[in-house]
Amino acid sequence: MKFTLACLAACCLLAAPTHADTPQQILGLYQQQAGSASAAHGEAFFHAQVARDGKTHSCASCHTDNPRAIGKTRANKAIEPLAPVANRERLTDPAKVEKWFKRNCKDVLARECTAQEKADFVAFLLSVK
Amino acid sequence: MPVTRKSLAILIATLAASGIWLGTSWGDGGPVPTFAPVAHKTTANECAACHMAYPAGLLPARSWTRMMHELENHFGEDASLSPEETVAITRYLTDNAADSPRANERSRRIAIGIAPGDAPQRFSETAYFRYLHDEVPAGVWKRAKIASRANCIACHTRAESSSFAEREIRIPKN
Repeated sequence: MKFTLACLAACCLLAAPTHADTPQQILGLYQQQAGSASAAHGEAFFHAQVARDGKTHSCASCHTDNPRAIGKTRANKAIEPLAPVANRERLTDPAKVEKWFKRNCKDVLARECTAQEKADFVAFLLSVK
Repeated sequence: MPVTRKSLAILIATLAASGIWLGTSWGDGGPVPTFAPVAHKTTANECAACHMAYPAGLLPARSWTRMMHELENHFGEDASLSPEETVAITRYLTDNAADSPRANERSRRIAIGIAPGDAPQRFSETAYFRYLHDEVPAGVWKRAKIASRANCIACHTRAESSSFAEREIRIPKN
């Protein structure tokens, strides 16, 4: 009986989902790719204004200047805060983080972000208290 | 006048006929009170990350297929998805499209108003939308709280539940 229960418990542990990463782990992934991560560079990146086609684009256009604040999509939908301190779900799913980097870097910079930019930006979000 | 079987029959027939007429009246915007809300989790989550999850019954299958092929430039934004998500969402949208066998009466009206060679990307460009909104003056669309014909929720207070009944409309004053 005890052995069966122990086996069951072991199975449950093995079957537990592994997607629940922490923001720190996600920073680690990008840091590994880039070699380093600077929160200060990430902050500058977040506020940078990019002029293209007679318009200015920036992360803040949708996310506001404050990573703790709720932003708004072009279609008027709320965007939950970027900083993990204000939104516990942020930076917990590596696939989701990559998906939004890919989309938003293209929308703001008209190109994909480098590993360095990603590492710096994640470091900045984690530095927000 | 005595109540005869004949007059009763006429009365019943008239009531029945008026019931049918009410049932197909345009008083609430159409014979069916609502579009089927998005019932596929991935579709609902992915679409609603940026905007209202528009019901699949608003556009024909060929419109959804084209849209899902062009997600890298989705009305000026990159909305690209993983290949698996793209396949699953395309399947849901086309299976429940305005010209699918599952379409309700209202969706079928949308579909028959679209030329066979057209694959409109905006519901607001369909003849059905224009017909139902033809009394809305041009200036109203420009009000700050409305701004876009895609912003259903600005006037249709229950749009997020796929309900567009006339009595639920509140047009913002500015």
